[in-house]
Amino acid sequence: MSGAVGPVPAPLRAVRALRRAAAAVAALMAYVAGWAYIVCALFITFDIVARTFLGFSSQATVEVTGYLLAGGIAWALAHTLFKRAHIRVDVFVNRLPVQVRAPLHILALGLLSALAVLFAWAAWELVDESALFDAHDNSALRFQMVWPQGIWAFGISAFVLSCFVLLLEASLALLAGRGASLDGLLGSRTLEDETEEALEAVAMAHEGEEAPRP
Amino acid sequence: MIAIVFLLGLLAVTIFAAATTGQALPVGEILMLTAVFVVFFGSGVYIAAVLGVLGVLTGFLFSDRPWWAFLGQTLWGPSSNFVLVAVPLFLLMGEILLRAGLSDRLYKALNVWLNRMPGGLLHTNIVSCAVFSAISGSSVATAATMGSVALPYFQDTKYSQRMVLGSLAAGGALGNLIPPGITFIIYGLITETSVGALYIAAIIPSVLVTGLFILVILAHGLKHPMEKPERVPLGVKMRALLDLVPTLLLILLVLGSIYGGFATPTEAAALGVVGAAVFAALERRLTFRMLNASAEATARNTALLGLILFGAYLLNYILTLINVPQALAGLIAGLPIPPWGIMLCIIALYVALGTFMEGFSMIITTVPVVFPIVVALGYDPIWFGVIVTMLVEIAQISPPDGTVMYVLQGMRSRPGPITDVFMGVMPFLGVYLLAVAILMIFPGLALWLPAIMS
Amino acid sequence: PSLPAGPPVRIAAVTQPLPTQPQYTRVDVPVLRDATAQRSNGRIQVTLSTHAERNLAGNEIVRLVRSGQVEIGAGTLTTLSGDVPILDGVDLAGLAPDIRDAQRIAEAIIPAANRDLERFGTRLVGLYPFPAQVVFCRQAFTSLSDLRGRRIRTFGNSLVDFFTTLGAQPVSIGFPEVYSALERGVVDCAITGSGSGAAARWPEVTTHISNLPVSWAVAGYLVNLNWWNRLDPQVRAFMEATMKEVSDKQWELGNAATRDGIDCNIGRTAECRIHNVAARPMTEVAATDADKAEARRIFREVVLPGWVRRCGARCGEVYNEVIAPISGVRFGG
Ligand code: NA
Ligand code: NA
Repeated sequence: MSGAVGPVPAPLRAVRALRRAAAAVAALMAYVAGWAYIVCALFITFDIVARTFLGFSSQATVEVTGYLLAGGIAWALAHTLFKRAHIRVDVFVNRLPVQVRAPLHILALGLLSALAVLFAWAAWELVDESALFDAHDNSALRFQMVWPQGIWAFGISAFVLSCFVLLLEASLALLAGRGASLDGLLGSRTLEDETEEALEAVAMAHEGEEAPRP
Repeated sequence: MIAIVFLLGLLAVTIFAAATTGQALPVGEILMLTAVFVVFFGSGVYIAAVLGVLGVLTGFLFSDRPWWAFLGQTLWGPSSNFVLVAVPLFLLMGEILLRAGLSDRLYKALNVWLNRMPGGLLHTNIVSCAVFSAISGSSVATAATMGSVALPYFQDTKYSQRMVLGSLAAGGALGNLIPPGITFIIYGLITETSVGALYIAAIIPSVLVTGLFILVILAHGLKHPMEKPERVPLGVKMRALLDLVPTLLLILLVLGSIYGGFATPTEAAALGVVGAAVFAALERRLTFRMLNASAEATARNTALLGLILFGAYLLNYILTLINVPQALAGLIAGLPIPPWGIMLCIIALYVALGTFMEGFSMIITTVPVVFPIVVALGYDPIWFGVIVTMLVEIAQISPPDGTVMYVLQGMRSRPGPITDVFMGVMPFLGVYLLAVAILMIFPGLALWLPAIMS
Repeated sequence: PSLPAGPPVRIAAVTQPLPTQPQYTRVDVPVLRDATAQRSNGRIQVTLSTHAERNLAGNEIVRLVRSGQVEIGAGTLTTLSGDVPILDGVDLAGLAPDIRDAQRIAEAIIPAANRDLERFGTRLVGLYPFPAQVVFCRQAFTSLSDLRGRRIRTFGNSLVDFFTTLGAQPVSIGFPEVYSALERGVVDCAITGSGSGAAARWPEVTTHISNLPVSWAVAGYLVNLNWWNRLDPQVRAFMEATMKEVSDKQWELGNAATRDGIDCNIGRTAECRIHNVAARPMTEVAATDADKAEARRIFREVVLPGWVRRCGARCGEVYNEVIAPISGVRFGG
């Protein structure tokens, strides 16, 4: 395709550095989210064991694990975006020439960004309302709702910022005549990504073993 | 795509049904919405954005309520719902089993027994998914785990890519039907039906569906014969069965904890995670690096579904706000036809909704409305629970919107259009519908076991 | 009530948790929806739906009404108390063993509750009960003290305080999972409305039912204040009368359904008219005077102080001013 045309302009280089930094932060947040699920599993298991054998129960598993789920979803949204794992139906798009494909990538991201802004606004409105009510949950621990909801809203906001950074980089790349590079930024995951990532897990299972055979 | 044409009609009918109570028909608006939908799908917009933007537009066009003032709550509710906690837990369990090599051992052990049948490896896809489903309560987790195990085996083989992806998607769509399953938990939540009884009722239907899938592959195998691998000595075959032991023990832990009275169906998912980690530790594969990688994958896949869930719930909220599901259900209940005819209409409605709705949001919006009708018609709530679960599974593998298919598309090693998955899953979709029909004619298939066990 | 002709009024209402509940089919549908349309000659059209149909958990009803998604919303007060703590005070465990007291307390507290609710743009226009919340167990018991050491599924803070003081172990499980939890012995006992237990077929998995009303799951109809204040005064008066009738009918139903629920659960076919009669009749455990005295003691010493601690000192004052004259128990002695 159009490939590299001359040196990368300075603004684009700067935005790329910014995107890499944002992706690193997003990855860190996703690990926190993932470990929250491990904590969930341990917490529920502990509650089952305590209830069955030790005669007590935390009285708050339902609420606490629900908050961990909400936070987990929100905090991993940005990382999933940088990993290009959010699902698009791109049957037609991938068959189009790059002049059409590149602006469509930007349109897709633009709409997602707009929706993300709406979600983030709604999330902070919810936190605001909970603060007005001084709302607590009905569990034995009586959590103040602004905390779990605030953490959730923070995650969605990070997603919004990530959308903006990507949108900026994509627009600059398009202006600089590097439409093809948008595939690598926004397009669906490619052969290299997949062999590298999706099968890494299987490789982990096969460490020290022979290769799989049919 | 046929589905989109179908969708055009359906969207028009639903909004028509909702609007007939009041003013003139908003034909222009309906056409515009459908056009927007088609353009978005065609231009590769994110699924969550398609659903969300459609919701926003519908809200502005058809509702005079300030729905945005309740949007935070609309998104927060499902995000923090305890019942949905089972989703990342089942995903996490799958990731750990995958990295501990247990899913692979399951696959290999079954393969030794199945690979000489016409259709070969494809049978292993179905059977290993079925066995894995007996631990996992999520179709997505089943498809993701067995998909990442199975796909490498098909690299550089002559198997039809479509058939490979189709059989894995179909196998994934057993995840909720074979107990345990999240759909049953949610159905029980809404209708106050016993989840335990639903699980028992699902046993014979899930055997039926699995059997039909195997027939599809046999037919495909006979039509496209391939070279058979060498015969494996019986001793090796018997030894391969040993590799099934960890999986069987996990099934015992997850289902046993429910029937033994230690855990609720949602909680059992957490026990599954801890059990999987214990087996990983026994295999000396439980490392920080492995847990960290499992955590990241779980977070990513949950976020992927979470974003779609946001969009789906926004759309759902708007649709219920303007009474679309209720109007549709009322329309069906008022039809001057016998009960089985109404039941057929209900099933058709689910199949139709399933082409473009998520399984979760579909049952959450419609079951509360449809359930009283079904009970009033004299149908058994347990039987209907099994039917609904099958329809939700069908929704997961009916194009263009189906999570199981997206997840598989997301992990293909050879890139290709998502239509490969869509086409490959079609024959399985067909027999799944056949199974629903069989269950309609012989409801005893679902009700016999719960009756003799109580 | 009647209403002269005028511009039509469309009202959206989300009331009971499930469309199958008698509170919905026997009161909301015939009175709030049908009778309203008929008496106003079609001028007022109420569109009814339930929490389940709108995919609501039940704890967000105040916010739902406040943000103008519906004009009328209803929900149990314990569930709403996370947002508005004073609402829990109407229905504390052990407060009102008699339904007539429960109704008097509910009606007395409406003005004080509305002072809080109006800050959030909503207003209570009627309170009503579900059938008495009673204990179902899978093993025999003869008095409250027998519950010591048992795992009991509860909901809400005041019930947790109540059963913890009895020496039982409260467990929180979502309502739909309770059936199988009782069946398999994940919990030994559970508390719910006598009729709700019958509807959820708990007699299949439990053997003994207490007739002591621990609480009433009192619920309330809320209206959006902005909308309410802007209504044509004649329409508002008409709706006020309607809501009064709805809540009176609900109290009658609550009273009838309480006894009916127990009768259905213990297999008295002749007396069982509202719910379904149990295939496997349960044993009724009649409350003794000692049980009633113990419930009262726990209420005075643990439940009431616990609620005031969560709700704030003002709640204690409101309680002493409004509820204490009816219940006969003062906060702070
Ligand atoms: Na399953
Ligand atoms: Na679908």
